[in-house]
Amino acid sequence: MSTAQTTIKLQSSDGAEIVVEREVAERSVLIKNMMEDIGEQAMTEAIPIPNVNEAVLNKVIEWCNHHRADPPTANDEDADSRKKTTDIEEWDQKFMQVDQEMLFEIILAANYLDIKALLDVGCKTVANMIKGKSPEEIRKTFNIQNDFTPEEEDQIRRENEWAEE
Amino acid sequence: MVISMPPAPNKDDLDATWAFLEDGVNRIMTNLKDGVDMKSYMGIYTAVHNFCTSQKAVASGGGVIGGNAHRGAHLLGEDLYKNLRAYLKNHLEVLYTQSKGHVDEALLTYYIREWDRYTTAAKYVNHLFKYLNRHWVKREVDEGKKDVYDVYTLHLVSWRQVFFDKVHSSVMDAVLKMVKKQRDGETIEQSHIKSIVDSFVSLGLDETDTTKSTLDVYRFNFEKPFLDATTKYYEEESKQFVAQNPVVEYMKKAEARLQEEKDRVGLYLHQDIMNPLMKTCLGVLVTDHSTLLRDEFQVLLDTDRQEDLARMYKLLSRIIDGLEPLRTKFEAHVRKSGLAAVEKVAIEGENMEPKTYVDTLLEVHSQYQQLVDNAFNGESEFVRSLDNACKEFVNRNKVCVTGSTRSPELLAKYTDTLLKKSGKSAEEADLEASLIQIMTVFKYIEDKDVFQKFYSRMLAKRLVHSSSASEDAETSMIGKLKEACGYEYTNKLQRMFQDIQISADLNSNFKEWVSKALDEEDMKKTVDSNYHILGTGFWPLTAPATNFYPPADIVKTYDRFQSFYFDKHNGRKLTWLWQLCKGEIKANYIKNSKIPYTFMVSTYQMAILLLFNDSDTVTYEDMQKATALSNEYLDPSLGVFVKAKVLLPSPENGKPEPGTSYSLNFNFKNKKIKVNLNISVKSEAKQEVEDTHKTIEEDRKLLMQSAIVRIMKSRKKMKHVVLVQETISQIKSRFTPKIPDIKKSIDQLIEKEYLERLDEDELGYLA
Repeated sequence: MSTAQTTIKLQSSDGAEIVVEREVAERSVLIKNMMEDIGEQAMTEAIPIPNVNEAVLNKVIEWCNHHRADPPTANDEDADSRKKTTDIEEWDQKFMQVDQEMLFEIILAANYLDIKALLDVGCKTVANMIKGKSPEEIRKTFNIQNDFTPEEEDQIRRENEWAEE
Repeated sequence: MVISMPPAPNKDDLDATWAFLEDGVNRIMTNLKDGVDMKSYMGIYTAVHNFCTSQKAVASGGGVIGGNAHRGAHLLGEDLYKNLRAYLKNHLEVLYTQSKGHVDEALLTYYIREWDRYTTAAKYVNHLFKYLNRHWVKREVDEGKKDVYDVYTLHLVSWRQVFFDKVHSSVMDAVLKMVKKQRDGETIEQSHIKSIVDSFVSLGLDETDTTKSTLDVYRFNFEKPFLDATTKYYEEESKQFVAQNPVVEYMKKAEARLQEEKDRVGLYLHQDIMNPLMKTCLGVLVTDHSTLLRDEFQVLLDTDRQEDLARMYKLLSRIIDGLEPLRTKFEAHVRKSGLAAVEKVAIEGENMEPKTYVDTLLEVHSQYQQLVDNAFNGESEFVRSLDNACKEFVNRNKVCVTGSTRSPELLAKYTDTLLKKSGKSAEEADLEASLIQIMTVFKYIEDKDVFQKFYSRMLAKRLVHSSSASEDAETSMIGKLKEACGYEYTNKLQRMFQDIQISADLNSNFKEWVSKALDEEDMKKTVDSNYHILGTGFWPLTAPATNFYPPADIVKTYDRFQSFYFDKHNGRKLTWLWQLCKGEIKANYIKNSKIPYTFMVSTYQMAILLLFNDSDTVTYEDMQKATALSNEYLDPSLGVFVKAKVLLPSPENGKPEPGTSYSLNFNFKNKKIKVNLNISVKSEAKQEVEDTHKTIEEDRKLLMQSAIVRIMKSRKKMKHVVLVQETISQIKSRFTPKIPDIKKSIDQLIEKEYLERLDEDELGYLA
């Protein structure tokens, strides 16, 4: 199949049309399945992506373009090892050096578009932001209000004692 | 063409969201052929996504630590799932109601059309509800909820529960009707059945792991009724067919049907049915009629219907224990035909040519060997039956009534005629082929020791008289015997060859020595001579049975050889086997021949003839005195001379007895210049056979005794019965010993104090 040559158009939630190679766009399982199901029509008309705006969509496409040739890693076998490590390759680390809002937008978009690898990178980035921090620091980092009562906090600490040894 | 979607629903409103989704799903389910536009596609997917992410709990992602999973993250979707399930149920109930309007092939068409439409739609819906699969369904399944499946599987499960369970038996009836039609010879739309099979297989879901499939649904709802119908069909058909047709025709029918069913699997059935289907068909078509088939076996053997035999073999080989009864019958049949064939030639009695006998055995063997190869696939079990049968009729038949030693004797004699020089010597290749055939019979001979005895006697003669047709053939034959019976069996035969070889060298050495040692005068008097030195232990030869004074003319020559030999081998003893020696004499006395006749004679004859150098007439008494020969040897030798008219008796018809005298026939005439007078007399040959048999008996006694001693030496103590058994097993490769003979041998050994009787029927070894 000569998917590499063909390009398709994506339409962001704010109406921008972005031309992208089909192979790149198909890193998204949503788009890949849709191309399979609908075929012809998707080649000529712009595909509406109602949940992602232009800025985020461009960022996602940038990532997809870089990872276009990655081997598929959908197996449950390495799903485990993927979860266990928070290592992120260098290019992805740089890619994720964005403000917090953009980071979360990317994660949401990856989730929506069903791009597992990108979702993982996003979540790992967040995990690394949490790693080694005290609850208080974490709350500060993510701007979270502490809504636990002191009793509740106590109970949780006791339940999780084993993890702190 | 495409109906545009209503505007996207409020993500928090279940009813609005579901109404939106149902509309989309329904269009896919019922009207997919009109296509789905991209906006709708993305709209449905997004609506599912938005609904599942609407109520802000904690973002999904990695697993949640802790037992109470719902505390950490709350995933939405259950409502959508339930609604979808309810929708499918409803949809399928409608399908079921519609299906009632169709029967037989129309029902199949309906089922297949709806199945195709439904599964295609299911694939779409599964994609559109992917977000639900990825999160809510995954979580439920991970937590071990039964009854929750990914959306595609939900479609299949619903199909099975709501639709399939109600229609499968009528669908199957329709399928079976079609198959019956095809078996009856009509053409059917096979692809229909193939589609049904595929559908049934797809519905086999492993309840514990939806990524795996099982064949349970297919096996229970398709395979089983299919096999039942097959049994019924062929039960009826075969019963009717055998009632109206001969068995051989039935076998053709069964063979064709089996092939047809096998092909059917490839055409439109699931591969999984191959074994049970074949088993079913074999059971009905072959096992149920096996007695009938087997009863026909003898008839086919008698008429040599190889093709039908092959067919029967193939059919019965496919069922358990199908062939054993055939093998038993086959063995009996071969034995019977072998015996009958031998009986035919046995009419010739003593005059039967060994070749006739051996050829008869071979003919029977090769006929059935060929049958085994062609019809029974060369199967080793049948080969064994053939071997058993051959062993029986080779060793125990009409010719062998006097004893099983007749077969090896005749076989050895036939081998001798092949290996002996004769007018029409065979081509090397033909000869080898004949030897291979000999070995075929040899394999079945039980008294291999008898063959060995006769063979070695005849080999000795061939070697001594240089009458072998081909040295290569001799070597080849010994090689074959060695291969069959081992080194010990042919050891002596090989030593005989060696002796001949050594003798040849010895003779040329002797000639050299003579030419150096003798002066001219002596040389003139020497007789041209050639000697064989034969080792006593290896040759089946015995010293002459009569006294004999060798003629003076050769005494000097052989004395010289003896001194030459003793010089070389000090301490050896030479015994002259005069009865085997021969010579040539030139008859210069005959008047009417320019070239003198040469008489080829035995040494005994030579001694007689040389007496006539001194006198033209010699009396019987003088001959007795001069040669010292006993009359058993003198008389036949004279007889040959008289018959050939070399000597003329007086009185004219005088018997060789005192009172008769003999004179030279100066008018002797013969067509040939070289006249062979060294003719063995028939009674002599017969005597030899008897001698051979006698030595066989002697050798067997020794063989049994040495076996017994060997066994007792290693065991020290043994029960009588066990010893007898052990002895039999040790020597049965040579011959089959008779138990009374073994008992006799044991008694003899006790007498000789090798063994002693102990208590309770036990024997002990005395060192």
